[in-house]
Amino acid sequence: MKIEIFAARGCKQCATAQDALHAVAKTIAPQANWRLVNVLEELEYAVELGVMNLPSVVIDGTLVFNSLPSANQLRKELERRKAAA
Amino acid sequence: MLTIGKLADAAGVTPDTLRYYEKEGLVRASSHTEAGYRLFGNEAVQRVRFVKRAQSCGFTLSEISDLITLQSSDEACCGDVRTRAIEKKLALEGKIQVLQKMSRSLNALLEECSPTGTSHPVDECPILAALEGATAE
Repeated sequence: MKIEIFAARGCKQCATAQDALHAVAKTIAPQANWRLVNVLEELEYAVELGVMNLPSVVIDGTLVFNSLPSANQLRKELERRKAAA
Repeated sequence: MLTIGKLADAAGVTPDTLRYYEKEGLVRASSHTEAGYRLFGNEAVQRVRFVKRAQSCGFTLSEISDLITLQSSDEACCGDVRTRAIEKKLALEGKIQVLQKMSRSLNALLEECSPTGTSHPVDECPILAALEGATAE
């Protein structure tokens, strides 16, 4: 599983959120590839995926959360994907 | 103090534009004349220029209103404004990608149509034929 967090450098909300969400991902899907994407460095890629708001969460190439999910929302999504795999 | 006409002249907009900005809550009169005409402070000129510059960057009036709210918020920081600017850039880049895709689609249609065949009857038009084919899919 590949989890990408699209955020902007200097976004305090993004940094705080990333830590909490990363902790959830490590618990539910420890093997997942976690990547923080600086949206300004990969703008074209972000636009292709439909990222419009920051931070956004993309899982396996699909925009899943176009605004900041709670830790619980991410946990449920990862568990759903794990069960479906 | 400035009347709406003088404010419009100073800021380079029309009085109608100012009335619209007022309706959207972006500019407010600070007092009235005895006859009831609205009067604006000099800071209104800066505000109108702010709105115009933000519009030229693609922000809608509603988004500009949010920026103005952020500007006066004690809890907001520069990063919040930067995030809004990046989100606007994402939206604009998305629109550019869509327009580029449309332009490429038109190129494909134009390649179907030779300039030497432009005098053919319209029912032989390869562009219309290609569009009809696309519709039938």
